[in-house]
Formats: sequence, C-alpha cells, structure tokens
Amino acid sequence: MIKHILTLIWNKKKKNFLLLLEIFFAFLILFGVFTFVVENMRNYNTPLGFDTENVWLVYTEIPGDADSTEIAEMKLLLRQELIALPEVESISYSNNITPFSGSAWQTGNDRNDFEFNTRIMQHDEYYEETGGLNLVEGRWFSPDDALSKYDPVVISKQFRDQCWKGKPVIDSLFILDDEGEVSDFVKIIGVVDHFKYMGEFTSEYNVTFIYEPPTSKELNTIYIRVKDNPSPNLEETINNRIASISKRNDFVIGTLESRRVRNSRKTWMPITILLGIGGFLIINVALGLFGVLWYNINKRRPEIGLRRTMGATKSDISKQFIGEILMVTIFGILISSFFTLQFPLMKLFDIENINYYYAMLISAGIILLLVLICAFYPSRQAALINPAIALHED
Amino acid sequence: MIKLKNISKIYKTKTVETLALNSVSINIEEGEFLSIMGPSGCGKSTLLNIMGLIDEPSNGDLSIGGYSIDDYNGKSIAKFRNEHLGFIFQSFHLINDLSVVDNVELPLLYRKVSSKVRRQMAEEALVKVGLKNRMKHFPSQLSGGQKQRVAIARAIVGKPNIILADEPTGNLDSVMGNEIMDILLGLNEEEKTTIVMVTHDEQMAKKTNRLIRLFDGSQVV
Ligand SMILES: Nc1ncnc2c1ncn2[C@@H]1O[C@H](COP(=O)(O)OP(=O)(O)OP(=O)(O)O)[C@@H](O)[C@H]1O
Ligand SMILES: [Mg+2]
Repeated sequence: MIKHILTLIWNKKKKNFLLLLEIFFAFLILFGVFTFVVENMRNYNTPLGFDTENVWLVYTEIPGDADSTEIAEMKLLLRQELIALPEVESISYSNNITPFSGSAWQTGNDRNDFEFNTRIMQHDEYYEETGGLNLVEGRWFSPDDALSKYDPVVISKQFRDQCWKGKPVIDSLFILDDEGEVSDFVKIIGVVDHFKYMGEFTSEYNVTFIYEPPTSKELNTIYIRVKDNPSPNLEETINNRIASISKRNDFVIGTLESRRVRNSRKTWMPITILLGIGGFLIINVALGLFGVLWYNINKRRPEIGLRRTMGATKSDISKQFIGEILMVTIFGILISSFFTLQFPLMKLFDIENINYYYAMLISAGIILLLVLICAFYPSRQAALINPAIALHED
Repeated sequence: MIKLKNISKIYKTKTVETLALNSVSINIEEGEFLSIMGPSGCGKSTLLNIMGLIDEPSNGDLSIGGYSIDDYNGKSIAKFRNEHLGFIFQSFHLINDLSVVDNVELPLLYRKVSSKVRRQMAEEALVKVGLKNRMKHFPSQLSGGQKQRVAIARAIVGKPNIILADEPTGNLDSVMGNEIMDILLGLNEEEKTTIVMVTHDEQMAKKTNRLIRLFDGSQVV
C-alpha cells in the first residue's frame, strides 16, 4: 500500500507540488518561530539564581572621590539604621552593576591553562543572604577576606564546569585580570549555582564575584531584603532614613521584581507576536489543506467508487487519502529539514544546537498533527461515498 | 452461481420514487455467459450493481456461490467482491494517474499479496488481453479499445469466478467491440468464468449463452 501511495503521488507530482511548497514554507517559518521561542523558553526555565521578590534596590549617587572615612562611617550608620527597621531583613552593598540593568563588567584571558571569559560582580559579605544566593560549594565572603593574601572570588557553576571540570576548585588560584585592575592571582572560595543577572531569557554568562567591604567607596547601590507583604509606608520610611543619614535626595528606590518584569516584557512581546504569526500561518495552512483535500476527494469520486468495487473497505479509502497527504507532508518536511539542519551544522548563530532540533521536532509535530486533523473529516466523507452512485457520475 | 429471488429496488428522492427493479428473479449457472438487454433506464445497471454487491436491493433475496447475502456494508463483503467478482464498465474507469500495470494491480492491493507477486500477476493478465507491451503507458496514451482491454485485465487479475460487465462495448466501434467480445468469450470458454454482460448490441448478445430482457424494471423474457 505504501508503494502504491508513493507511485500515485510521484505520478501526480505536478498536482502535489503546491501542497509540497506550502508544507515546505510552513515548516521553515515555524522552525524560525520555534527556534526563537525554544531558545528563550529554555533560558527562561533555568533558575535566575537570586531572589527578586521582596528585594529592593536603592541607587545612590554617593561620589566615589568624597572623603572616604566620612562615607564609610555614613554607610555603616545607614546599614545600622535600615536593619533596625522591623520589616527589613537584610542589607547589602554592591557596585552599580545590578540585575536587569543591562550594564556589565567583563574580563577574560588565556594566561591560565585555559581560556575564559567572565562577567564580574562586586559585592560585600551580606549579599548571599540579601540576594538569596544558592552556594553549591565552598562559602560566600566574610569580613576577614579583606585581609587574605589572594583576593577571594566566588564563581558560578557554569564557569567552574567550563574551566575546572572534574578538578577540585575550592582554593584554586587563577589569573582573573591581567591588566592590573585586580591583583593578579585570585582564589576561589565558593561556587553559586546560577546567576542570570542579564535577564530571565538571556543565556547564562560565566560570573565571578569579587569582594569589597561594605564601607568601600566602590559600592554605592543598596540591596534591601524586606519581609513578605511589607506595609505600604515602608518605602517612605526607608526613603526618609536614607535622606536624613546621607543628607541627599538624589537616590531612587525600586524593587528588583518590577525590574525583572520590565526586563522580561522585552522578550515576552516578540514571543507573543511570533506565536501569533505562527498561529495565523497554521490556520491558513489548515484552511488550504482542507480545501485541497475536499477538492481532491470530490474530483476522485469515481476512483473511490472503483476502489470500493475492487474490494477496498471504507477504512481502506480513508487510509488511502490520509496516506497520500501524509506522504506529501513528510516529503515537504524532509526537504525543509535539509535546509534547517544547516543551522546547527554550520553554527550560523550563537544558539545551542539542541534548540534547533527541538524547534524542528515541534514544527514537524504541529504540521503533521494539523494535516491529520484536516485530513480526517474529508477522508471519512470519502469513505462514506456510495460506490454505485460514484461510478455512475463519470 | 448467482440466485436472485423477487429482487426489487426502489430509489427514493425528495420528489419521486422510482421502481428501478420490480421483483426480478434470475438464476445464473456457473460458467454461464448471460447478457441483459433493455431500453435505457429499465434497470440494467441497477441489477448488475446488486449482483456486484455495490447496491442493496430494497426487497428480495440474493445468494452468490451458495452464500446468501444480507449485509451489504461489512468488511466481509469487500473481501468477497475482491476475491470473487470482477467489474468492467462502459467508461473504463481507469485511474489516469497510474500506469497501465499499476491500474491492473489495483484489486490485488486489497489482498495480502507481495508487490513482486502483484506485478507478476498483472503482467500475466496483460498478456491475456495482448497489452504486455503497453505496461508502462498511461491511460491517456491508449485508444478506447486498449483502455477497455486494460479494464478487462484489471477485472481478471484476481482470478474471480464472476465477471460483471456493464456495456463493455458501449463506447467502442464495432471492430474494437468485437475484440473485447472475443476476449470475454475466451475467458468464459477457457477459464469457465461466469459472465453477466449488459449490452445494447443484439449482435453481441447473440454470442452469449442466454439473453434476458428487462422493461421498466421487470423481466420480460
Ligand atoms: N441513485 C439513483 N437515485 C435515483 N434514481 C436512480 C438512481 N440510479 C438509477 N436510478 C433510476 O433507476 C432507473 C434505472 O436506472 P439504471 O441505471 O439501472 O438504468 P439502465 O437500464 O442501466 O439505463 P442505461 O441503459 O441508460 O444505462 C432509472 O429510472 C434511473 O433514473
Ligand atoms: Mg446503465
């Protein structure tokens, strides 16, 4: 039967060409849509690695060149005063490279026995608690780290797996920056599981945390972790305290959660639009398929009658029509796949190969399902045609 | 071989009821070559379709080869048609998108036969109708007589014991018509195939064993 169907669609290649073309392009477009969607959704599904709920951020404009002892004292006082609030759980200082801000500090070199690239974050000893980090190895910074011989660093798991795969990593030394901004060798004291600070949909970068004490003039952003359901006037209270202690009002308070939502909207939008276009395309293809099938079956009524008299059962007739359209579909998908396979093979974009394969599977699955749904009703109608009447019509 | 007892057929449409067959009883012996004649619309095709189990009588009993037929829809009927009956039509009913040999193989698709055996049987059938050399042609490349010979090859490929032919020479000139008739006579003679043929041609009918005339749905001779 399969051979018969193949013969039939080969002999009708001209008539099947448009259908093949339709499947071909539908697959290409769906492949594009789903590569984008799969890539983003798979990133989305990996943990951020830090908390956004109940974490507030305060950007201050405390000048780096001001008298540092004065600033150090002010920051310690600010810490004390804020942590004294019953609804505040924890306080931490960082530089102004914060999650979802788009800003980044990166470095990399090949002076170790591996080549690497990493983003650098600067935090004090309180950030593990304030940010809700999850350490898989070692420990976070402690105040004593300011005194240690080598600058301590905490790295992300991805960085560890890339450069220290299978080797002990805690207490290893490596050259982080060879341009002298950070002292040459640094010592790894801990590993966090994830840190997707560029955004939920962004693939993870290697991350290295370096230590600065809270009093450091480098750190002018305040992270505040508050209890669940803070009272509505907490923001005002915090605002007043910061204003009175720092004697300035050029700071902004915002929640990390709202930054996350705003940042993710930039990706949710195109995903929704692309899926909408994909859906519209699918409906069009479905209508086209349905029409073609309907037309074919009506044109082939005598043939259906003939097959029935030759001993075909009703289900043979249904299978025949579904088989033909399915075979054309599979050819269309195969030809299309030949082109889409070039993306992972030639590594044209910075997208993981598996995402292309997923996109191909999803596109093929959708098209096949669509074809089956569209073929089901006309094929059933074909099976119900009365052979005596159909043969009479010719 | 085929026994019809008081077979009636009424076609009901919204406006009219047509009595296409009115209590027809015929007994066709094994190996017989029977022809059916009658004016247009008298029910000849209807009768043949009922014998071929592709149409259901409104009344009466039908038995073929000793089996009485009471279910006209099931899978067993399809199998029965496939194994015991061969059909030939006035308008040939070849599938234009299939080559001659693929057309002839058609009935074998609905049996458990390997594609190799299918091809072999189809070639044998084409040899019998003298068209082996046209195997790879398409129906559009054949004359009317050749088309009907392909249709005969298709009807006999499954080695049926009954052939039902509805005006097989109706679309052909007398030379081609005689060719077709000779093939059918040969089949009847050599393979002992029971043949029922509807025709408008007295000359053709004369060559058969027996003639039945229908008029307005009733048997007159
Ligand atoms: N499907 C149908 N629905 C309604 N009436 C039908 C149907 N098929 C046949 N008839 C009617 O039944 C009668 C017998 O038709 P049938 O086709 O058997 O005639 P026929 O003897 O084969 O005629 P012809 O020599 O023209 O082929 C005709 O009056 C026809 O109009
Ligand atoms: Mg007729």
